[in-house]
Amino acid sequence: MTDVTPPDSTPLRTGTLSWLFPRRSALAAAFLVPLVAVLVVVAVTASSTGMSLEQTVSGLLRAGDPGSIMIVWDLRLPRVFAGLMVGAALGVSGCLTQTLAGNRLATPDLVGVNEGATAAVVASAAGSATGMVGDWWLGPLGAVAAAVLVVLCAGGAGVAGHRLLVVGIGVSTFVGAVSDLVMSRQNDNTAGGVFLWAVGSLNGRDWSVGGPLLIALLFLLPLSLAAGHRLQLLRFDDDMAASLGVDLRRVRAAALALAVALAGVAVGVGGPIAFVALAAPILAQRLAGPTRVPVTGSALTGAALVTAADALGRVVAPVELPVGVVTSVLGGPFLLWVLFRSHRTTEKA
Amino acid sequence: MTSLMTPGLEVRSLHAGYPGRPVVKDVDLTVPAGRVAAIVGPNGCGKSTLLRAVARLHRPGSGTVHVDGDDVWRLSRRQAAHRIALLPQSPRAPEAVTVAGLVRYGRHPHQGLLRQWSREDEDAVREALEATGTAELAGERLDRLSGGQRQRCWLAMVLAQRTPVVLLDEPTSALDLGHVVDVLELVREVAAAGRTVVMVQHDLAAAARYADTVAAMKDGRVIATGAPRDTVDEALVKELYSVEADILRAPGDGSPVVVPRARPPVTEPGAEL
Repeated sequence: MTDVTPPDSTPLRTGTLSWLFPRRSALAAAFLVPLVAVLVVVAVTASSTGMSLEQTVSGLLRAGDPGSIMIVWDLRLPRVFAGLMVGAALGVSGCLTQTLAGNRLATPDLVGVNEGATAAVVASAAGSATGMVGDWWLGPLGAVAAAVLVVLCAGGAGVAGHRLLVVGIGVSTFVGAVSDLVMSRQNDNTAGGVFLWAVGSLNGRDWSVGGPLLIALLFLLPLSLAAGHRLQLLRFDDDMAASLGVDLRRVRAAALALAVALAGVAVGVGGPIAFVALAAPILAQRLAGPTRVPVTGSALTGAALVTAADALGRVVAPVELPVGVVTSVLGGPFLLWVLFRSHRTTEKA
Repeated sequence: MTSLMTPGLEVRSLHAGYPGRPVVKDVDLTVPAGRVAAIVGPNGCGKSTLLRAVARLHRPGSGTVHVDGDDVWRLSRRQAAHRIALLPQSPRAPEAVTVAGLVRYGRHPHQGLLRQWSREDEDAVREALEATGTAELAGERLDRLSGGQRQRCWLAMVLAQRTPVVLLDEPTSALDLGHVVDVLELVREVAAAGRTVVMVQHDLAAAARYADTVAAMKDGRVIATGAPRDTVDEALVKELYSVEADILRAPGDGSPVVVPRARPPVTEPGAEL
């Protein structure tokens, strides 16, 4: 008898209920969760100022000198926490946009999220007397506003992926140019602060950011997971999906809204950290196999990438490197590898 | 109507089209369960739009579509997918999908968060693979198969949906003669199992041979409907395609065979080489 069970899965049934246990995805998670845990430990102990391991541990136990306690509890832990959340959000957002566009190179920044967040932050810095970057929620607000503008210009959220991307590039370029124009009229002090934000940095992200981030993710991640099953039908055309009982326009709109919200929150808090939204879903897909939309895997991989890059940035150079610089330096070669690989596999097929 | 024969699909005074451009005008069509109906007609006569309106892909201006007594346009999209399955003309397959993977998608309307892979799903997929003779291809990648094999896999997917009504949009248009016969024999078997099949057919001969009912459309209206041997004649072919043709009778079942007459060669003055 032909085995027709989905590959890498074990059906579990009781009465009329049935569930597919994803063996391969579970295995991937069993590898990624400990990896993230190890990276968190590394990130908490990684020091840009030469603080010793003992000092860190005693700080963590609130037993050491007040300075160490302050550094660990008020600087490092919230920053590592923010990094985890930002990474997970970027990973899932990238997973959604890649599935939506049917293209592995489609990332949320193509719908204007990065430029929108940057514009909001630039405007807040230019508008303030001190030239400081304003409240954390300005970034997400700008990101979502830009994405809404893109969607309106493209003619609705249900339209096919490529049209959205082309309009997104146009709107991004324009918004970016406006930001640059505003920036060029500011002093060096403002420019420095905004620059650090605009390359993507987790420096100085405290608990006031972590809470809202966590709430946003607790809300958005389960929705993304629930959408995963229907997202599979994006691999068909609209007619076929409709006759299978799914309105693709609605699925697209929902997936896009989730992707923008996730990326908006992440970019608003951490700045436009490059390549995580691109790389995390690709790596997660390799781990989870081709049949599923790897939502969970992308979240874990994204969290791992940002945490690792942030820790690396703090120890690798005499001056702390922003996390966005680290991901860009590592992401460039990764992108080339993806292009090279897909080129080779197409030739083989 | 005496219900000796369950009406599988009932289309009543259906109008469909676009603002200012009616495409389907006042169409009535009843296809009993277990029968094959073929919609034929020239390009642009509205047969695809009719099929799309029945499949819930194109909202009709007025009129109704009933399956086993339910108005499909009053059902949710998902409920409708439990009653009507459609194979579009050249569907796009997910990248690198296997045959079994494709056929499993046919179960999508029956699945949910708490019903991800039931025994019925498993049986339906297996049955569909076996009915279409694609069971031994189950593990193969769809894009590595021949056109005829691929079409049988798509049919398997549509069958796995286990709907009382199956719609096929030109299911044989890109196939060679052997595979055309293959697919149409399969269509007959599907109907014999109690389902209602409606297909848009370009090829009048194939429609005449394999359908129980032919509905001939011109300019959005059904101008003739009935059993092929009573319906397909010289006058109809002339009316539909503006072609003079002789109708022969196939040896065996006597189904009509359309033989177009060659047009006299047009001689233009000065056209000789």
